[in-house]
Amino acid sequence: MKRRGRGIACMLYPVGATSYPNPGSAFVKVNPDGTAVVFAGATDVGQGSTTVLAQIAAEALGVEFAAITMVTADTEHTPYDFGSVASRVTYVVGNAVRQAAHQAKQVFLAAAAEVLKLDVSGLDSAAGWVYAKGFPERRLPVAEAAARAYALSGRPPLGASTFNAATTFLDPETGHGKPYPCYVFATQIAEVEVDTETGEVVVVSIAAAHDCGRAVNPLLVEGQIEGGIAQGLGYGLLEEMVLEEGKVKNDQLVDYVIPTMCDMPEMRLAIVEEPEPTGPYGAKGIGEPSLLPTAPAILNAIYDAVGVRIRELPATPGKILAALQDMRVPSERGPS
Amino acid sequence: MEFAVVGKRIPRHDAVSHVTGRTLYGVDIVRPRMLHARILRSPHAHARIVAVDVSRASRLPGVCAITAADVPCNRYGFTHVDQPVLADDRVRHRGDAVAAVAAPTPERADEALQAIKVEYEPLPAIFDPIAALGPDAPRVHGDTNVAARVNIRYGDIERGWQESHEIIEETFRTQMVEHCHLEPHAALAELDSRGVLTVHASVQRPFLIAADLSKILGLPMNRIRVIAAAVGGGFGGKNEITMEPIVCLLALKAGRPVKAVYSREEEFQATTVRHPYIITCRTGLKREGALVARQVSILSDTGAYVSWGAWTLSKASIHAAGPYNIPHVKTEGVLVYTNNCVGGAMRGFGVPQVAFAYESHTDTLAEAVGLDPVEFRLKNMMKDGCVLPTGQVLDKVTLQQTVVRAVGLARPEEDRTP
Repeated sequence: MKRRGRGIACMLYPVGATSYPNPGSAFVKVNPDGTAVVFAGATDVGQGSTTVLAQIAAEALGVEFAAITMVTADTEHTPYDFGSVASRVTYVVGNAVRQAAHQAKQVFLAAAAEVLKLDVSGLDSAAGWVYAKGFPERRLPVAEAAARAYALSGRPPLGASTFNAATTFLDPETGHGKPYPCYVFATQIAEVEVDTETGEVVVVSIAAAHDCGRAVNPLLVEGQIEGGIAQGLGYGLLEEMVLEEGKVKNDQLVDYVIPTMCDMPEMRLAIVEEPEPTGPYGAKGIGEPSLLPTAPAILNAIYDAVGVRIRELPATPGKILAALQDMRVPSERGPS
Repeated sequence: MEFAVVGKRIPRHDAVSHVTGRTLYGVDIVRPRMLHARILRSPHAHARIVAVDVSRASRLPGVCAITAADVPCNRYGFTHVDQPVLADDRVRHRGDAVAAVAAPTPERADEALQAIKVEYEPLPAIFDPIAALGPDAPRVHGDTNVAARVNIRYGDIERGWQESHEIIEETFRTQMVEHCHLEPHAALAELDSRGVLTVHASVQRPFLIAADLSKILGLPMNRIRVIAAAVGGGFGGKNEITMEPIVCLLALKAGRPVKAVYSREEEFQATTVRHPYIITCRTGLKREGALVARQVSILSDTGAYVSWGAWTLSKASIHAAGPYNIPHVKTEGVLVYTNNCVGGAMRGFGVPQVAFAYESHTDTLAEAVGLDPVEFRLKNMMKDGCVLPTGQVLDKVTLQQTVVRAVGLARPEEDRTP
């Protein structure tokens, strides 16, 4: 018989860290044609951080996304970054990029101020134009402002910045301190179908609502959530390294099964945006948290479907069948 | 505030080159006259190394071989400097590298590995993290297998038990898993025309790799350049050095570019994994369902070396009580050495293990007091101004909004209205 159930799981997870310093840094140079190169030590490991940093740079400089070229993850050609860890790149390196871009922008705004005959404090830039705040008709292309900064002011628009959230080390005795700059929150609800004859679980759907501060790129946030659900599904149902005397017995992907597209449920996603004042444009992060609620939501759904509480990951068909049999034959076993 | 670029659904800048196969990942980088490296690993989980002889391998045409004797500084680590690049006194798990070769072809390199003679004296090994705590357990390092402890206390746990109407305890176990990034670890080392040792590596932290290479090789940092080009997934598995010092030493010795790519077997056996945890949650609550006290104990198996084990245990311990408002919390974490695979960083850094435990436990508690799982969570969850067990005060707590949104999405037929 196939029985359906639903399970919920919530989580909180920090972005970056403040129990140890973990700075990120960036250099920005604006070319005479209004395009720009951003040098940042951060590594894109597939999550899309380089795209997000380019968006932050474009926003901060007031130029088009296509005007930004990124140079990243080269210890000789880019300034220091702690690494693509702790869901920190958007928050930490994003802040450094924003600050460095802001510095470079002040230089071409000053050049534009001479042309527009306005005080620099009355200027801003967006979408490739320097304009008078509150009077956007008075404007000048960023390209002209930048060219003037080089050719007439003799001052190329450059910026260099570092961001590191204030560090508070933890008390070794009580564990007290403020170890993280900010938090994100999430809830996932899994619907599963359990086959009571085989113990097999099919995850029918996952509803996932994740707070990431401001979503700099909702497309990439959704990609991270979907990837996290896939990894969480593997953690909850499929994956386990089997060791014998320290030797991994299933050291191939034919024996160690990770989820494929065929295992993926229908995913219904929601991004809860609560801008973080200390983040770049309110952004926090999404990388690691997307995985956390999936496995417990699935296991809670299994319990809801068939009344079996699996306390050892992964919830394999064998464990579920054994637990179902224990339920049918009253046993001496306690709840744990 | 309206933004021009932030908040827009812009496709990744590298999307086209990725899907058309033009992106060069670490595994794709090649050089003329490049040598292929292979690493000899321990057949024992625990053994004393009596002798390593690479002389026969070194005599093969074009082959260059190294052992621990070739490594200027042969220990690294973050909180515990306990891990060798190439094992010297002992091997402590089956992934330990003992020697390495570079050869003009991968086949010649395999042949050279076969020609290396290592004499071992097997030692008793320990695989069970609970047994590893016993007084007579074989020791992996030093005179205790306890590598680290983490203790966090908030409120008064004893008072919490007294004020509770019901106390429920459950124990959970999590398994060892691999990151399974599609691109395996890969690195190519070469000297550029300026004499800068340049390493193209598939890593998440090029600056840490460069700093560790500087120490291990005894070279100043301006003579080392690490480039992480396109990385085909990491998930925490590429957070520390693996073969980078080995390809560097071989490249310096051979005077030619040297590249290594891990096999999938090496990924499982020799790189870091997610720590298996044994987690006991004991929770006291009021009759009507309010949480009063929680004690969580965690036993983490870090395998042969600490790597990121102490830091993952710390992050796990800080979050072990979950996103709930609990006045009295006590967490005790113990990190133990065994002769298993090395536990390291993996997406979530210890918290997926405890999240599985605390959220399963939450459903058990809800049922015990006769509340629906959603209702029980809404009743107990953190709100603005709530305090973590470390004393950190939270703001912008959106938990309740995420519950409402997820419930709406899970029941679209019942709730279509915003």
